Amino acid sequence: MTRIIIGQYYPADSPIHRLDPRVKLLAVIAYVTVLIFVTNFYGLAVAALFLAGVIWLSRVSVRFVLRGLRVILFILSFAALINLLLTPGENVLFSFAFIRVTTEGIHRAAVMGARLVLLITGSSLLTLTTSPIQLTDGIEALLKPLRLPAHDIAIMMTIALRMIPTLAEELGKIMKAQKARGADFETGSPLKRIRNFLPILVPLFVSSFKRADELATAMEARCYRGGEGRTKLKPLGFTGRDALAGGVVVIFCVVLVLTRFI
Amino acid sequence: MIISDNLRFSYASLEDDAPLRPAIDGVCFSIGKGEFVAVVGRNGSGKSTLARHINALLSPTEGTMRVNGIDTKDETQIWEIRRIAGMVFQNPDNQIVASTVEEDTAFGPENMGVPSHEIRSRVDTALAAVDMLEHVKSAPHHLSGGQKQRVAIAGVLAMQPSIIIFDESTAMLDPSGRREVMRTIKDLHQKGHTIILITHFMEEAAQAERIIVMDHGRVALDGPPRDIFTRSDILTNIGLTVPQAVLLAQGLRETGLTVSNVLTAEELITEKSVIETAERFTYFDKLATVKTLLPLPQTDPLIKIHNLTHIYNPGAAYEKKAISDINLTIHKGEIIGIIGHTGSGKSTLIQHLNALLKPTSGQIIIDGEDIHADKKNLKNLRKRVGLVFQYPEHQLFESTVYKDVAFGPIHTGMPADKVDESVRRSLKIVGLSEETFEKSPFTLSGGQKRRAAIAGVLAMQPDILILDEPTAGLDPSGREEILAQIKKMHAELNVTVIIISHSMDDAARLCGRIIVMNQGQIALDGTPAEIFSQGPALEDFGLDVPHVTRIMAYLARINPVIPAGILTVEEAVRVLSASPVSKAFPSEASV
Repeated sequence: MTRIIIGQYYPADSPIHRLDPRVKLLAVIAYVTVLIFVTNFYGLAVAALFLAGVIWLSRVSVRFVLRGLRVILFILSFAALINLLLTPGENVLFSFAFIRVTTEGIHRAAVMGARLVLLITGSSLLTLTTSPIQLTDGIEALLKPLRLPAHDIAIMMTIALRMIPTLAEELGKIMKAQKARGADFETGSPLKRIRNFLPILVPLFVSSFKRADELATAMEARCYRGGEGRTKLKPLGFTGRDALAGGVVVIFCVVLVLTRFI
Repeated sequence: MIISDNLRFSYASLEDDAPLRPAIDGVCFSIGKGEFVAVVGRNGSGKSTLARHINALLSPTEGTMRVNGIDTKDETQIWEIRRIAGMVFQNPDNQIVASTVEEDTAFGPENMGVPSHEIRSRVDTALAAVDMLEHVKSAPHHLSGGQKQRVAIAGVLAMQPSIIIFDESTAMLDPSGRREVMRTIKDLHQKGHTIILITHFMEEAAQAERIIVMDHGRVALDGPPRDIFTRSDILTNIGLTVPQAVLLAQGLRETGLTVSNVLTAEELITEKSVIETAERFTYFDKLATVKTLLPLPQTDPLIKIHNLTHIYNPGAAYEKKAISDINLTIHKGEIIGIIGHTGSGKSTLIQHLNALLKPTSGQIIIDGEDIHADKKNLKNLRKRVGLVFQYPEHQLFESTVYKDVAFGPIHTGMPADKVDESVRRSLKIVGLSEETFEKSPFTLSGGQKRRAAIAGVLAMQPDILILDEPTAGLDPSGREEILAQIKKMHAELNVTVIIISHSMDDAARLCGRIIVMNQGQIALDGTPAEIFSQGPALEDFGLDVPHVTRIMAYLARINPVIPAGILTVEEAVRVLSASPVSKAFPSEASV
């Protein structure tokens, strides 16, 4: 559970960390969208250069960023392999049964792979440089004009983020306790295995409800009454720096789209 | 400040025909500004229900509750009342909302609509007041229990309340966590806050200016601690205890000594008559402490641990050495207490004994066999080594108590015809009657649930029974019950018992041998008398010493003839009342 690196906040004080989360969210959406339209190496090079610049500015250690890729390594190699082996083309370099390796295939596999790496690294930078609270604040602010219950969604995300480590710990504890009573989760038919999970699921649900109830009481005791009239410790502030960052992203997107026509 | 007038409250019943037993039944009191009031009473006596009336989480069925002149029934004032009367709950994990310390502290003021710049200054002031400023950006799940509770206190302080209610806020903490929180509470009282402290620990209640004793929804006693604790007859009757210093003073008074009405260990050791007795003390019959001089049982070694080391997440950036190079021999029939602060490696150690954790290096040998030698033997091992986790009632899941207790025996391969007998016997030992067998475990009371869960492990008929904080969160009479049952299991079922405890009193009274863990290693290992005569060392390890032991250790410094490792009040009275001429000691080697 703790090994998953995607979505883990990397605390640091950098220009990227300090940006308004709304700007960062929109920038990632824009980045991902234009990346889909990139088909050649010029575009990829521009995107890679841009990303490298952002990583450098963010002061997140490169090793940490790359470690996030480990999780998708399988998907990445699978997608590249499919493209490599199954792309139809003129220039056949090697063929065996239905497999044909073509120059087009190599080209496509490389573009595909590079694009995926850029995509994942770019979006994980968002969560690496934005604390969960800022992220939910940003989402709340962006959802508000859409007439969605923005505050409720935000508080749900906040509580979920807060409770995930606690519940993961609890799950581990319950599993151990039932193992100590002879429960076995590793052997047996699939149906039996599902049934074996009852001794875990029932206590986990019971305790989650109890926690939810206590948390609700504690929140009420601290005057929580929904989003109305609420203020923020750190209100979102759109500054000159944010405007500058937005401008840079727009220029980058335009350049990236233009590379299609080279 | 707080005026409760003939307050009554009943919870809505789930079953229509069940008679409504009022949780609060006509309570009258008034609490002045700046008072420090402790509320004690056994589980279900109405303490928490009462507290929840003070901040309008509950509204009285009859009678009135006024806070700062505002009737809590007035729904337009509900948020003002909750601001005035802040509340800190028992479980630190279930009251922290946000995922960083500062954001959580800001939660209250944010809800109240305080302007952002002011929230900032309130958050900083509040965190400074509980000495948590250096952790502003930390994630709550990286903090210790005591630190989490201090964050929860800061969250309340940021709302600038005049009353702070603590609903058993120390119950889930280790000794040093409890000390941290109690220090904070006393500090807040000094600064003028009105404090209401609900607690099961009489030593904590003794630090208040006034104690309200609740029983069956009524106020049984109300007065200064000094007066309350002289009524030990009433207190014992309603399932409560008295601080050890008070008990010792009473015991000494019965032997003819003039001791004034003391409350704490510190007061008792400044009593003139006590000091004089200590100074006069010349004669010491070894019989008086015969228990502490008993050699360890000379039975065969049952468990041998060789150079055990465990590292969590080896190789990762957050790898953590939980225990290192532990060597330990446990003999058949021992009752061993393991004490140590949270994170000292106690739980990691015991989870190796039934192979829930695998050693990173080292060996565990039970009855001459390495437990990891034969992988197929795992079930048999888990049957032999019964492990009762902390808050074991959280693991109940079956539809009836009987089925839940039968889960262990069935899954560890006990023959079907033996299961029934074993289940019934185990339930009997923990004191659950036949009527409860077919009930859902979720309808039992807290103490009953705990005992049913212990029976679930006992029913596997283990040779070794390990209990991780079996008395945590129980009221004094609940604690006594569990301790008595553990003694019974040890005597009747002939099991070797290992207990992890945060209660030094429990460990001192129950165990024949105590192991102190610190930073993943065994720091001390010996008889309770040997261990608890090392007060300062234990405090360095974040632990405590039973109050009576501390008193006797102090007196032993005045007069070195006095034995230091005294663990119970009875023993202390016996030693101190030993007059120079009397040689006939009652040679009670009682437990």
